[in-house]
Formats: sequence, C-alpha cells, structure tokens
Amino acid sequence: MDSAAKTPAKPRKKGGSSLGTEISKHLWLYIMLIPGVLYFIIFKYLPMGGIVIAFENYVPFSGITGSKWVGLYWFQFFFKSNWSLYLVNTLVLSFMSIILTFPAPIILALMLNEIRSLKYKKLTQTLLYVPHFISIVIVVSITYVIFGASGLIGRFAAQVMGHKVDFLGDPKLFRWMIVGQNIWKETGWGTIIFLAALTNVDTQLYEASMIDGANRAQRLWHITLPAIRSTIVLMLVLRMGSVLDTGYEQLILMANAKNRSVSQTLDVFVYQSGIQNSQYSYASAVGLLKSIVSVVMVVGTNKIAHMLGEEGLY
Amino acid sequence: MKKILSLVLALCMMLSLAGIASAEAKEDMTITIMLPDFNSQYDWVTLEDGNPILQSIYEATGVKMDIKWVADSAYGEMTSLTLADPANMPEVMVMQGPRDAIMISSARAGAFWDLTDLIADYPNLAAGQETIYDNISIDGRLYGIYRARDYARAGVYYRCDKAAEAGITEKPTNWSEFKELCFALAGLAEDTYCINMCKYVGSTIGIATVMAGAPYQYGVDEEGKIYPAFEDEHFQEGLDFLRELYAAGGIDPDFITIESGNWNDAERSENPKAYMRLDCLDNGHRLQQWYEDNLGYAADPPVVALLTAIPNDEGKIQIWPQNIGASGEIVVTKAVTEEKLPAVLSFLDWLNSAEGQTAINCGVEGKNYWIHEDGFRYAYPEGEADNANTYTEYNNTTLHSLNQLGMNVNGNLTPTVAGTILRDEYAQNLLDNAQYVIGNPCLTFDSDTATMMGTTLAQDIEDAQVKYISNIIDLDELKAAYETWHAMGGDQILADYQAAYDAQ
Repeated sequence: MDSAAKTPAKPRKKGGSSLGTEISKHLWLYIMLIPGVLYFIIFKYLPMGGIVIAFENYVPFSGITGSKWVGLYWFQFFFKSNWSLYLVNTLVLSFMSIILTFPAPIILALMLNEIRSLKYKKLTQTLLYVPHFISIVIVVSITYVIFGASGLIGRFAAQVMGHKVDFLGDPKLFRWMIVGQNIWKETGWGTIIFLAALTNVDTQLYEASMIDGANRAQRLWHITLPAIRSTIVLMLVLRMGSVLDTGYEQLILMANAKNRSVSQTLDVFVYQSGIQNSQYSYASAVGLLKSIVSVVMVVGTNKIAHMLGEEGLY
Repeated sequence: MKKILSLVLALCMMLSLAGIASAEAKEDMTITIMLPDFNSQYDWVTLEDGNPILQSIYEATGVKMDIKWVADSAYGEMTSLTLADPANMPEVMVMQGPRDAIMISSARAGAFWDLTDLIADYPNLAAGQETIYDNISIDGRLYGIYRARDYARAGVYYRCDKAAEAGITEKPTNWSEFKELCFALAGLAEDTYCINMCKYVGSTIGIATVMAGAPYQYGVDEEGKIYPAFEDEHFQEGLDFLRELYAAGGIDPDFITIESGNWNDAERSENPKAYMRLDCLDNGHRLQQWYEDNLGYAADPPVVALLTAIPNDEGKIQIWPQNIGASGEIVVTKAVTEEKLPAVLSFLDWLNSAEGQTAINCGVEGKNYWIHEDGFRYAYPEGEADNANTYTEYNNTTLHSLNQLGMNVNGNLTPTVAGTILRDEYAQNLLDNAQYVIGNPCLTFDSDTATMMGTTLAQDIEDAQVKYISNIIDLDELKAAYETWHAMGGDQILADYQAAYDAQ
C-alpha cells in the first residue's frame, strides 16, 4: 500500500497528468489499494461518528439519536475528578517505557548483526520472536509464579536482601515490572524492522573504513548508526503517537490494592468507567481527550524530526 | 322438530365443550431469555435436541424457552450491548446489579416493563418480600422480580480442631473472645495463617467491622446525620484488629495477589495454610463436605465450626449483609408486547411455584434427581453413589445454569436434600439470625455522583484500607485517604443522601 501511495506522487511532481490518467496508468495499483481504503473507512473513519456520545448522556437503550445532549459536561466532570493522577501515571509509565524499551531492539539488532554464523543468527532470531506470541495474560501469570513470595526470584531476593521484596505489590517496583515484561516480550520482535534497515547498509562503506583502519566501535558509530538513523527517527515518531496508550490488559492484570496509586492510567480508567461501569459517555470523553493529546504529540515530534533534518513521518 | 332441536342442542354442547377445551389447552409461546452461564465449559442441550427439562416445562406451561447463554464473566458487558440493540433484545433477562448505572438508566429510558401495579395479580410473585422489592426499586417503581438469596449468610468459619490444638476448645461467645481465637490460631505454626484472605477483601473487612459494631456502608448518627461507615469508631476497631493480626503473622502477606478463584486453595488441603475465613457460611459446610469427600475426615465431630451473631463489646449483635436479600433481578424487556405481557408474567409466576422451582433447580425426577427412601433428594439413583459423577455430567448439560432463572421469591419449595451437622446448623442460623442482619440506610437513595463516581471512590477507600492492614500506611495516611474521598465526590454523595433521608 505504501508503494502504491508513493508511486503516483512522482509524476505529479513532474507536473501535468490529471487524476484520471493517473488512475488509468496505474490501474492495478489502485485496485490493490481498494481493500486498504475500505478498511480505513469502515473500521477507522465511520466509527468516529460514535464520538458524538462524548457530548451526550448516552443510554444504550435510547441509542445515539435518542440520548440527551449534554455538551461539555463530561469533560468538566473529568477535570473535577482525580484526573491529574491518571495523567501523571500515564506519562511516567509511558516515558519510562520509551526510554527503556525503545533502544532495546536497536541494541539487540546491532548485536545480532555482528553474529558471523548465519545458522546461529537465524536460530537466535527465531527464539527471540517467541515471547511476542505469548499472550500477556500468560506473561503476567508467569510473573506471578516467579516473582511471588514463594517463587524463584521472590525467594532469591529475600535471601540476598535479607527481607522479603514485594515485587507484585510495592508501588515503587510496579513500573519496573511492567517495563521489564514489555522488554522481555517485545524486544525480539522489535528487531525485525531494524535488521531490515541494517541489510540496506552499503557493505563497501565497511570495507573502505576497514582499509582506513576503523575499528568495530568506530564502524558502528560512523557507518551503521547513521545508516539506520532515519528508520530510528521514524519509529520514534510513531511511538510518540502512542505515548498515551499504556494498554489496559497488562495493567489491570498486574494491579492490586497496594499498587493502584501508580497503575491507574487513562486507558485503565476508560476501560473501567466505560466497559465495567457502563459509563459510555464519560469514557468516550476521556478517550477523546487522550486522542487529542496523542495527535499533538505526533505533530510535535514530527516537527522536531524535520528540524533535525530527518524526513519524519510526512 | 324435536329431532332437529336435540341435534342443535347436541351441536351447541359439542361447540361449548370444544370452547372449554381450547381455553384449557395452553397456547404455545416462545420466550427468549438471556441468562449468565456458569457452566460454559459444557454443551447445552436445547429443546429441539430433546432436553427433558425444557420438554417438561413446555408440557406444563406451553412455553418454549429459547435461551441465550452468556458467560458470567462477560455478562455485564453483554448487558449493555444487548440493551443498545432494542430490536433484538431478549424478552426476559437477568440484570445482575439492581442499582448499577446501566439498570437505572435503562429502566428510566423505558427498556423494561414497569411491574409495580401488575405483580398483585400473580400469587407467587405477590408473595415476595416487600422490603426486598423496595431494595430493587428505582424511583419508587419496580422493574423486575428479584432472585432471592439467603439474608443471614455471612459469618466466620474456622478449623475447630486446630483451635483446640491452640488451646481454645469453646466457640467464642463475643467479639473479644473471637479476637483471642484469631491470635491463638495465628500463633499455632510459623508458616500457617489465621484468616484466609484474597484479592476480594470486601467480606473480610465487612464482617470484621460489622461484628465490631460498625454500620454497613453508611450510618446515621443520633442527630440524623448520614456518615460513611469507615468513619465509625467501631469500623476502625475492626480494621485495627485486622492490622494487628497481620502484624502477628495471622494473614498471608501476599493475600492481595491471590485471585478470588484460588481463594479455596489455602484451606482445601491436607495441610491448610489458613484456618479461618470470613465469608458466606455455606462455604463452611461445603469445606467440611470437601474434607469428608477428599480426605476421608469423619462427619462427626466436624472439623469446621460456624460462628456468627456474636455480640461486640457493647453487647450489640450485628451480621454483615452478604447481599440485599437478592442477587440481581429478572426483568421483562419492551421486546414483549402489551398483549404478551400477562402470559410472560404468568410464566415467571409459574417458575416460582413448587413445580417450576423444582424444574429449573433440580430438573426432572428420575432423570436429573431422585428421591431416595429416606425422603430426601439426591443427584443419583438409590444405591449408585459410586458413579454419581456420570449423573453430574448429565446435569451439567441439561440443567446447565437454569437455576439462574430461579427467583424463589416465595421461599425455596424444591425437594429437600439430606442434612449434615453443619448444613443443619447453617439452615438454623438463617432462621434464627435474619433479625441481626443490618442494611445500608442509603441503598435506595438516588445520587448521580454515587452512580458515576461511587465505584471508583469505594475502590480508593478499599485500597487504602488494605494498605493500612498490610502496614504500608499509618493511621494518618488512612485518614488522608478518607479526606480525599470527601473532596473527590464523597461530600456530594453525602449531601444527596442527606437530602433524600431528610425528605423521608
């Protein structure tokens, strides 16, 4: 789809051709575009109409048209609540996971790239992808078993520290546990895009630099990293767009009375008020606010990327 | 002439006979029903596939039940989705929370039939308890038939053999003796605990504080002022007791990570990790049964003791209300036409009769249950106790979760099962102690803030209490959490309730 979208853009730059001739020229590309466009219209654009319930007192039985219009009531209601706690929890957890989980696949990809034996590299890659396919519910269950008071690490920590470490309840450890789970689960999978970018690096550059006497670290710093820089920036911009998406499954599964002061994020709040307490309007309003902030984040990061001379997202 | 006359008369008689006959034969009618499913791992046998229970109900009433099962864990979500599609609503459904936002808003929007003035015409429905009907009413109107639950269910059950090991052979007779028992059990062994607690702390904190003398949810002081239960001195007394017990090693420090589904693990074992639980007492007689079935313990004397209705330091006896006398309600949605409504209500009425109750709770005699020579009901034929499991299997598919449709507003009329020492004691408790069960004085009051924020606020309070019990925060920090409750909407809730209370 990406190439289909890009290809027609080129001739337009040269000037001249209208949309009609464009389409007839690349007819098959446009036909292939149809499912993608339909997907976005049906699953992304049409449901946006539902946002209107954020401004209503939505009662499922009365429907969207039958419910009472309340304007900005829910937004005011939210700002009267404990909203700053949710926002702070969301931002802290999100930036912690960006700082810690974002570089992890890059570092791992660079390490994999240095492996000489192709067989060993393939095997390692395959094994690294496995955690991605394990459901988060299972990951949390495993965490409970290993880090619980009678678990392997739980007991080990108790022996080393001389007192019990409450991995599952201590609010100070909560975010580290979440970030740790994410690193374990997603780092291997995240290497794919960087490994693909690494294959595009011109090997002649390495040879030339070797002749010039550059060591491994210098080659990494001066050739490899600059070569994949635009990929890194692109991924970072995309990641910033989801900076407020903490997800809720993992957090709800890991949350308990002791750590709820740090585990309540916007996503968890939307889930709890919307799905569990069936306050659809309220949850939609909070979700809408979150989306607005996310858009600002993407546009902002993209601007910064441009300022740094990178292509960015658009 | 005479001949013709007699012929006409005979014809008339035949016609009128036919008329009577057709009036007596029940009209066939299909009712669509949505119920929570607790047996989703088993296939469901439909009427078409020859489910004998549905067949018997059809023969008795002419009603074909078309049941849509929804897994209990997803029932809340499905309720909203179902009500969002009025064209495809089931005609009869369970609403699990009579005071949930979805129930209140849907009832006000007209999703359900108002039954307030109708139930008087149906003897079984009319026999329901006025107070419980009041408990589930919205704006003074009744939108459903409650599913009755025993009132005085809550209490303490504990291993009395272990208590004897710890030197306490007599059942505690008051709050301070109860505390003594707890500390004795806590000190019994290094790696075992007294109270078995899990992630769901509601019953433990509730039973302990109410036993100590606190009100339930909200209290009313001498001046008629409404205040939250957690600000009662007796509530603090109950909480302090749990905190001290925790400090004395009487509660598993990891209790908050134990899912409620694994709550039984610590007690259903040859070497239990905990010896006591504050919960529904029927779990107590089931625990004894478990020991007998799985570990071969003797039935007499039982190793489990039930304890409830003991006075606090001031001599006041109180029992925590495990429920509001009901677990949700059965509503008739507007998918039912006005013409069909009486027939649907007649069917609900029939479900409350002895015949109806037996059908959905026990099934068909000779297929799902058997009356043995001793006159009691069993789930297997006489002399076949050994392969009782095959019959259980059959019940799981044909009886499934049909009891979810059970209302029993006029009492339990099903054939009785044989008692055990504890089951009889439990049944006697229900009769003797219903008078001590306290209620929430603000249950039926209306507060938008409570509907919107109540759950979140209550969660914050419970979290703070758990941290206080677990010695993570001190009394000042607990008080600070209470202050936050007031500031974040608690004061508004109190004001709303106070206005409703004063208007009474």
